[in-house]
Amino acid sequence: MIGRFSSFLRRKSDAFNRIPPLAPPSPRAGKLIGVLLLCAVFGLSYRSYFRNWVPLGPQRTVATINPKMGVHTRLTDEPDAAKIKQSLEMVREMGAPWIVEYFPWAYYEPRRGHYEWSHPDLVIDHANRQGLTVIARLGYVPEWARPEDSHHLYLEEDNYEAFGRYAVEFVNRYRDKVAYLIIWNEPNLSLEWGFRPVDPASYVKMLKVVYPMVKAAAPEVQVLAGALAPTLDPPGSEWSMNDLDYLQRMYDAGAAPYFDILAIHAYGLGFDADEPAGESVINFRRSELLREIMVRNGDGHKTAMITEGGWNDHPRWTRAVRPAERILNSVRAYEIAIAEWPWLENVCLWVFRFPWDQKSYQDYFTFVGTDFEPKAIYLEMQAYAEGRFEAP
Amino acid sequence: MNEEGVRVERVPPQGETAGAGRQWLVAASHGSRGTAFSVRDSFKRRPLLWLAVSIAALALAGWLILRTGGPAVDGTWLRMQERGSWRVGMDPSFPPFETLDAEGAPVGYDVDLAREIAAEWGLEAEIVAIGYDSLLDALLVDRVDAVISAFPYNARMTKDVHYSPPYFEAGVRLVVGAGAAYEEVGDLEGGTVAVEWGSRGDAIARRLQREGAGFTRLPFESTEKAIEALLSGASNALLIDGVTLRLAQGEGKRIRAVGAVLDEDPYVIAVSIEAPKLQSALLQALAALEEEGRMELLEERWFGQVSGQEE
Repeated sequence: MIGRFSSFLRRKSDAFNRIPPLAPPSPRAGKLIGVLLLCAVFGLSYRSYFRNWVPLGPQRTVATINPKMGVHTRLTDEPDAAKIKQSLEMVREMGAPWIVEYFPWAYYEPRRGHYEWSHPDLVIDHANRQGLTVIARLGYVPEWARPEDSHHLYLEEDNYEAFGRYAVEFVNRYRDKVAYLIIWNEPNLSLEWGFRPVDPASYVKMLKVVYPMVKAAAPEVQVLAGALAPTLDPPGSEWSMNDLDYLQRMYDAGAAPYFDILAIHAYGLGFDADEPAGESVINFRRSELLREIMVRNGDGHKTAMITEGGWNDHPRWTRAVRPAERILNSVRAYEIAIAEWPWLENVCLWVFRFPWDQKSYQDYFTFVGTDFEPKAIYLEMQAYAEGRFEAP
Repeated sequence: MNEEGVRVERVPPQGETAGAGRQWLVAASHGSRGTAFSVRDSFKRRPLLWLAVSIAALALAGWLILRTGGPAVDGTWLRMQERGSWRVGMDPSFPPFETLDAEGAPVGYDVDLAREIAAEWGLEAEIVAIGYDSLLDALLVDRVDAVISAFPYNARMTKDVHYSPPYFEAGVRLVVGAGAAYEEVGDLEGGTVAVEWGSRGDAIARRLQREGAGFTRLPFESTEKAIEALLSGASNALLIDGVTLRLAQGEGKRIRAVGAVLDEDPYVIAVSIEAPKLQSALLQALAALEEEGRMELLEERWFGQVSGQEE
C-alpha cells in the first residue's frame, strides 16, 4: 500500500515538473505590480479607517435655562458613528448638558491588557464636540476576569485590581475629556452582583481598591459610587437589599473616603415628582432620604448626581403613568433639582434612545425613537430648556 | 527577460523530456482525451478506493435528502397532542385583551381566541399567566407552546420566533366623525386634529406638521378629552391608537378611522421557530376563523359593536 502511494506521489511529482514555470516579470511590469499592490493596501486601509467615520463638526455648546438637565444615553451597542453623532446632537438640541454613558469593561479589554478604544473614542469625542459633559459608568466583567460560565456581572474580590487597572487605563486615555466615573451599577441587586447575595462590604472593598488607583492616575477625576436601585425588598431577600439600608452599610464598611459623589437612581414610577419621600415608597423624592444618610454619616459636604431616573408611559406597564404625566413630572424633576436641591449636580433621566426597539415597557422610557423621530416628550423638554414650555 | 536583459532558452527541469511541455499543452487543451485515464481500468486497479468513494457519496446523498426534504419533526405539536392542550402564555393585565375575572380566571379577547384556535385542533387551551417581559423567554424555553397577549411583532426576533399574521392592528389612525367627509390627512388643511398630549398620536401629529400638513394640533391631557373634542365639533379629527379607537366605537361613539395606519403596531401570535406543524396549523385555524366570521364576532364580544360607519 505504501509502495503504491509512493508511486502515486512520484507520478504526481513528474506531472508537476512538466508544467512550464512562469517567465520572470519584466522590471516595468514589476514596477506596475508594485504600484498596484501599494494602491490596494492604501485603499483598503483608508476604507477600513474611514468606513465608520463622520466629521466631528464644529465645537458646540448647550443652550439651556437649566444646567442640571441630563439624560442617560445608551450608545454602548450603537456601532454606527453617524448615529452616535446624531444622538449626541439631539441631546444638545434638547438642552441637556449632561450625559451618562456605559463603557463595559468586557467590550474594551476583551483580553487582559489588550484594549480596544475605537468605540469609546467615537462616543466621547462626539459628546465633547457637542459640548456635553460625560459621566462614564464602568462595569461588565470580561470572560478572562471571571470563572468559566459565570455571569458577566460576577467579579471576585481577587479581580478588583484588574477592574481598577481598566479604570486607570480609561482615565489615562480620557482624563481631559471625562471627569466623572461611576464604579459599578446597582450593586444592591443580586442580578447586578453576578446573581450572588448582595454584599455592601465587598462593594466597599471594590471602592477601596479602585478609588486610590484612579486618584493616583488622575486626581482631578471624580469617582461616583452607589448608583443603587430603589427597592423595598424585605431584609434577607435573595433578590436585593433596600437601597437605604445598603447605603448605610456602605458607610459602616468605611466607604466615605473612597468616593467623591453619590450616584442616585430616582424613578418616579406611578407617583408625581412632588410626592413626599417615605421609607416605604419608591418615588422621585426618595433621593432626599439617601441625602439624609449622606449627611448623617458626615458626607454633607459632598454632592450627588441622579444618574438614572424618570417616568415611563407604557400603556400597560403597571408602574407607568400617562404620557402627559410623564412630561409634567420630567419637567418638575429638572426644576426640583435646580430650585430645591443645591446638593444635586444634575438629573440624568433614563433613557435617551435605544439602538433598536426593545418591544417592552423599556421603549416607553425613551425620548426619541430608534429612527430618531422625536417623541413629544423630547420636544417638550426642548421647549422647557428654551424657556417656552407651557402645558396645555 | 532576466536582469541583464538577455533572452535565454528555457532549460527543462530535471527529468523532463524534450517534448514534455508540448505534451502538457495538449493535455490541457483536449481534456481527458490527452491522458490514458479509464474509469474501468481504474476500478480494476483500485476496487477498495472506489468502494469507499461510493459509500461516502451515498452517505452524503442520504444526509442531504434527510436534511432538506425529509419530514421535520415538530416536538411542540407532538407534546400538545400528548397533553391534549395548547399551552398559551399571556400577561392578564391588559383588558379587554386579557385580564382576570372576579374568581381569578383569565378572560378576554386573547383568551377566547386561544380557545377558538385550540378547538379547531380538538384541544383545550391552557392559559399560563406570565409577566409581559418574560413571555418570549417562556416560549423560547418551551414553558409555553405560544404567546397570545396583545403581543407586538418584533422583526429582530424572527430568527428565534415565528409570528402569525396579525389579528389586530393597534397602530395610530386618523379618526373622524362617522359622517365627516375627511378621508386622509390632506383633507384637513386649515382644520384641527386632537391628540392626547405626549402620546404616539401627538408625536405623529407633530411630524406631519413638520412635513407640511396644514392642520392645527390640539393637545389634550387625556384620550377621553381628545375624543370628546372630536365628538363636540371642537376638533375636525383625532389621532389615536387602534385599541382606544375600537373601545370608543364599542362604547357607541360614532367615529371611524380613515386613511392608512400611520404607525403600524400589529398584534400577532408567537410560536417556536422549530414548530412547523404548529405554524401551518395556526395559519389554517386563523384563516378558518376569519372566513367563518368568528374573528369579527370575537371582536364584537370584547369591544362591542361598531355603531358608526367603519372605513
